[in-house]
Amino acid sequence: MSREAGSRDRWEDIVEASIAKPVIEAADLKDPAYLKIRNVIYQVSGIYQPEEKLYLLAARCARRMSVVKAKTPAEYLEFLTVRGNRDAELRLLLNEITIGETYMFRSPLQLEALRNVILPGILKAKSAMGFKRLHLWSAGCSTGEEPYTLAMFLLEESEKMLAGWTFDILATDLNENSLVAAKAGIYGEYALRSTTELLRRKYFRPHDDKRLQVSDQLKSVIRFERVNLNDDSKMTFLKGMDLIFCCNVLIYFDLNSKRKVMQHFYSNLLPGGYLFLGHAESLYQVDDRFHLVHFPGAIGYWRPPVGYTGGGKP
Amino acid sequence: MNAQSLDKIRPRIAAMDATPAIQVIVQPLAAMLQLAPDQVDLEKVVELVSYDGTIAAHCLRMANSTLFGRRNTETVRSAVLALGLKRIEAILLGCCLNQIVPPDKWAFDAVIFWRHSLGCALVSRKMAKLIGYPDPEKAYLAGLLHDLGMLVNTLACTEDFRRCIQAARDGHVALHRSEEELLGFTHCQSGKILAEHWHFSADVIEVIELHHSVTATLTGGPLVSLVHLSDLLCRLRDLGYGYYEAMGVDLAGDSAWAALVGHYPALANVDLARVTMDIDGAMEEIVAVVDAIFKP
Repeated sequence: MSREAGSRDRWEDIVEASIAKPVIEAADLKDPAYLKIRNVIYQVSGIYQPEEKLYLLAARCARRMSVVKAKTPAEYLEFLTVRGNRDAELRLLLNEITIGETYMFRSPLQLEALRNVILPGILKAKSAMGFKRLHLWSAGCSTGEEPYTLAMFLLEESEKMLAGWTFDILATDLNENSLVAAKAGIYGEYALRSTTELLRRKYFRPHDDKRLQVSDQLKSVIRFERVNLNDDSKMTFLKGMDLIFCCNVLIYFDLNSKRKVMQHFYSNLLPGGYLFLGHAESLYQVDDRFHLVHFPGAIGYWRPPVGYTGGGKP
Repeated sequence: MNAQSLDKIRPRIAAMDATPAIQVIVQPLAAMLQLAPDQVDLEKVVELVSYDGTIAAHCLRMANSTLFGRRNTETVRSAVLALGLKRIEAILLGCCLNQIVPPDKWAFDAVIFWRHSLGCALVSRKMAKLIGYPDPEKAYLAGLLHDLGMLVNTLACTEDFRRCIQAARDGHVALHRSEEELLGFTHCQSGKILAEHWHFSADVIEVIELHHSVTATLTGGPLVSLVHLSDLLCRLRDLGYGYYEAMGVDLAGDSAWAALVGHYPALANVDLARVTMDIDGAMEEIVAVVDAIFKP
């Protein structure tokens, strides 16, 4: 829930700074189509705009409406719900809405699942085979918040359950600008809002008055690389992953592309490994080889080991 | 099961009947719940709901919730008519059961308990509709009552039950595990005794007794599997007992799932991730309704 609450603040900041082109007439905000658009956005992303903040939603819609030449919110609602390219338009609207939204430690319950359930299982299985190294992949790492979160999480565990283990994190994105920012690792208060004071002191150094930069230790466990998830030749060679994180990336893909990427991810993962998607994403009718596994407050997609016959608890 | 321990709580279960709401409302209601809708006397239901002003207000609050798809119901009669007899009976029962535990006797947070029970009721009903189970309101009722034994345990052995909850919280394990270890019986067994005492229907009693015994459900009815899965889903989506249960559950690999698919093949086509997101989406209203009614 913190994501929604936080994104509202951020959303407001961004829009306040950039708003007014085009101007939204107050009367327009009474158009019930905005409420319907709000509900569509909420169902898809979990981002919710209360009625007194609908002007923010209207400002974001206005940009897309001018691009697609929709004259009224009701007409634009059709672009989002009934027209053939509705998924693509929804993605583009979400793109407008979620600018700069990401921050570190955004999914604490996913980390709890890693700590309490997933990693103990993976470590046990790999130890039995004589392996002592973990491979993680943040696919669609944007400006680096996710891989740095994983790096901090693993480093914090390195004296505990990961004692004697080594690990590496591959962080990839299609967007070169994002990768440049990710490699620089300079973050303001928004990105660090859920990062504790202790972790800030341990893994960051001051950059300027308002921002911190990640330490070399944190950078050293991550390898940044430009990867297009649609690029078969590249994807084929990324093998041996224990965990793949691909949050809010597939939302930009059509069904065929999603299926192709999932086939790759399945092969990229070791048996017993997990794929994590964004909290509003589902693999239903995309790929039926992964097993959907529920953890408290988090869900993951599991590549079962050979010979798994069910039983409820991986 | 520790029969001796369980025997000790039997007299306390009988003593629960002394609560006025139980005598006047729950016992006639339990009999009424067994009847087909066309055999239920509408006036009798209105009378039961109206008996206690607080209970009537709670029923109206729930009836007006978006969870039940209705708004602006102002009288008990219109709530009964709008929601249908079966649903109002289940709502009434939930409101009454809360009254059997005095505030100082709750071994855990009553609000957390009712969030879980209401959440499980709603998820059970939703799943029932998704798979084509013929009586979604029965699924709602069974979901609401599945943990009835926790009310028994909190009343009959408050301090021991508190220790069970603490042990479960410390060990990140399911509550019935620590009950087995520390009490020698679980809320499933104590709940069954109370449900039989109040003459609940056989299928609801079966849910109360077997919702944690997945293998046993294979010989039970589909309602047990349905509520078992709904209970798990709720505990996995922050509608559990307020502590972290360290578990990873492949629901589609669960034997209750397999049993239920055998009865209702449509289950195989349910997008479980979407159901999960829907639970998250309904969370705010579940919390609001339960808090409005049960928060002291």
